[in-house]
Amino acid sequence: MNISVGKSFKALVKREYWEHKGAIFYTPAIMAAIFAGLMLLGTITGNNVSVNGHDSFDYMEYLPQAVEQFENLDEQERSNGVQIGLNAPMVMFGFVMLIISLFYCLGALYDERKDRSILFWKSLPISDTTTVLSKFVAVCFLIPLFYFGVLAVFQLFLLLFATVVAWFGGSSGVTIWTSSNLFGVLFNGLFSLIITSLWLAPLWGWLMLASSWAKKVAFLWGTLPIFMISVAEGMIFHSSSFIEMVGERIADGFAILNSNMHYLVGADMFDIHVMRWYEVFSSMEFWAGLFVTAVFLAGAVFTRRHRDES
Amino acid sequence: MTTLIEAKGLSKSYGSHQALKSADFSVKRGRIVGLVGPNGAGKTTILKAILGLTSYEGDLKVLGLDPARQRHQIMQKVSFIADVAVLPRWMKVSEALEFVTEVHPNFDLNKAKHFLSKTNIPMQARVKELSKGMVAQLHLALVMSIEAELLVLDEPTLGLDILYRKEFYNQLLADFFDEGRSILVTTHQIEEIENLLTDLIFIRDGEIVLDATMEDVSEKYIEVMVSKDDAEKAEALNPVMQRDVFGRKVYLFEGVSREELEPLGELHSPSVADLFVAKMKEGK
Repeated sequence: MNISVGKSFKALVKREYWEHKGAIFYTPAIMAAIFAGLMLLGTITGNNVSVNGHDSFDYMEYLPQAVEQFENLDEQERSNGVQIGLNAPMVMFGFVMLIISLFYCLGALYDERKDRSILFWKSLPISDTTTVLSKFVAVCFLIPLFYFGVLAVFQLFLLLFATVVAWFGGSSGVTIWTSSNLFGVLFNGLFSLIITSLWLAPLWGWLMLASSWAKKVAFLWGTLPIFMISVAEGMIFHSSSFIEMVGERIADGFAILNSNMHYLVGADMFDIHVMRWYEVFSSMEFWAGLFVTAVFLAGAVFTRRHRDES
Repeated sequence: MTTLIEAKGLSKSYGSHQALKSADFSVKRGRIVGLVGPNGAGKTTILKAILGLTSYEGDLKVLGLDPARQRHQIMQKVSFIADVAVLPRWMKVSEALEFVTEVHPNFDLNKAKHFLSKTNIPMQARVKELSKGMVAQLHLALVMSIEAELLVLDEPTLGLDILYRKEFYNQLLADFFDEGRSILVTTHQIEEIENLLTDLIFIRDGEIVLDATMEDVSEKYIEVMVSKDDAEKAEALNPVMQRDVFGRKVYLFEGVSREELEPLGELHSPSVADLFVAKMKEGK
């Protein structure tokens, strides 16, 4: 009797979901629920907003006018507007996802040693390589997939919300859906999230290595060496290429994440050249990054295998 | 294969401290081996080496495999309970069952469910919600459902109350142990397992000072209760230890024949605890 590596791997990724359900699913779900709740609340209570403290403002009166304006926009502008609206939450969801991923990596190979559960995991017939890879796959694919799923539901809610608003403004709301390029928004959203995470993979790999190594405070092991290298570089070579490289990598990551939005708003969201997610594949830096990631992960596997646990 | 573990010249140093000094021992199939020694003697180092959790020098084969390189293969046939604290606290009981089913080729889910049905452990509870005793029961249920050839226990009953401790070993004997398997156990509570053991290994300062079957032990080590008048005669036979009990003296002899000792008084087999104390003091 044997269990294929594939089956163990699936079980391991599922295990990551079980352990981090709060960060992977509940965090974005609660965020979406709060945004949705605020929008609904604002619509219901906002019917009688007093502007400047005296005039009572009834936006229901203005709604037909606004809807008409929207319908009269040319197709390109209308579509851009809807897509900007749909992409706006991604800025927030993507940012939270990256923060979550950062802490996930720092804990990935540290928490199990801290609570000694590593002795349980190591009592099972699973190699260190499979374990470390499962955690890497969790950060690059599992987490983005869940954030995408929640984001997609929220984007659908936005469209439905806008449709209902359009009804009150005397329109059928069909134009909102036809201008939404919904499939494209979802497709680009999913891949931006995944490719951003892969672009930042060297960071994840490094943090996982630090996490496998740290005896205490994995966060310091993850960050201090980066600063120490920068300081050393500054003192020896009077330059700062290393920290610039790290900074650029992270900035480019955010740019890729928000590339859809960037080009929708006329390419003036970032001052740097922004790659769309599919352009990333033709960037040498991307592949070099994956190579560096592989080295870090190999180091993490080695450390997990040989680290003396007591 | 009748030898499950074979160690030759097993050594391990932490910096300048030598935790293991060229230890030789073996564990055969169908045995329950107690590995006994004071804190810091190297017990845990031996277990960790066997389980592939630490590096070492020397020759070590577990089920014919090299633990430093082939841990995940060895773990298909070896189970391990460290102490009650190591099950992940966030995990639900049902998740633990599902996970082990999916990653362990020799795990029998129905068996585990059967064991758990005899406890008060709810399937949806998280490990952190269970009492220490329940966590130990859960871990034991998981481990006993694995068709393992070797079970390694490192202080498995540490921190458990007496009811659970008794139950732990009783269940292990009734539902797990048979002539096809072996158990290697370390514990400070020697009295608890004394009657289960078939073999005894004592370790002191990284060296094996005793490695024998219980039959050998009871043949080789004899305790005699001697009245004060015969004390000199007894001491002439070089006892390894003596203690006073109600105005009489109890001497422990190593390798002295029964015929020589019988005239001095009543003969007993020493308890493992007394033997342990004698062996630890030897030569000091």
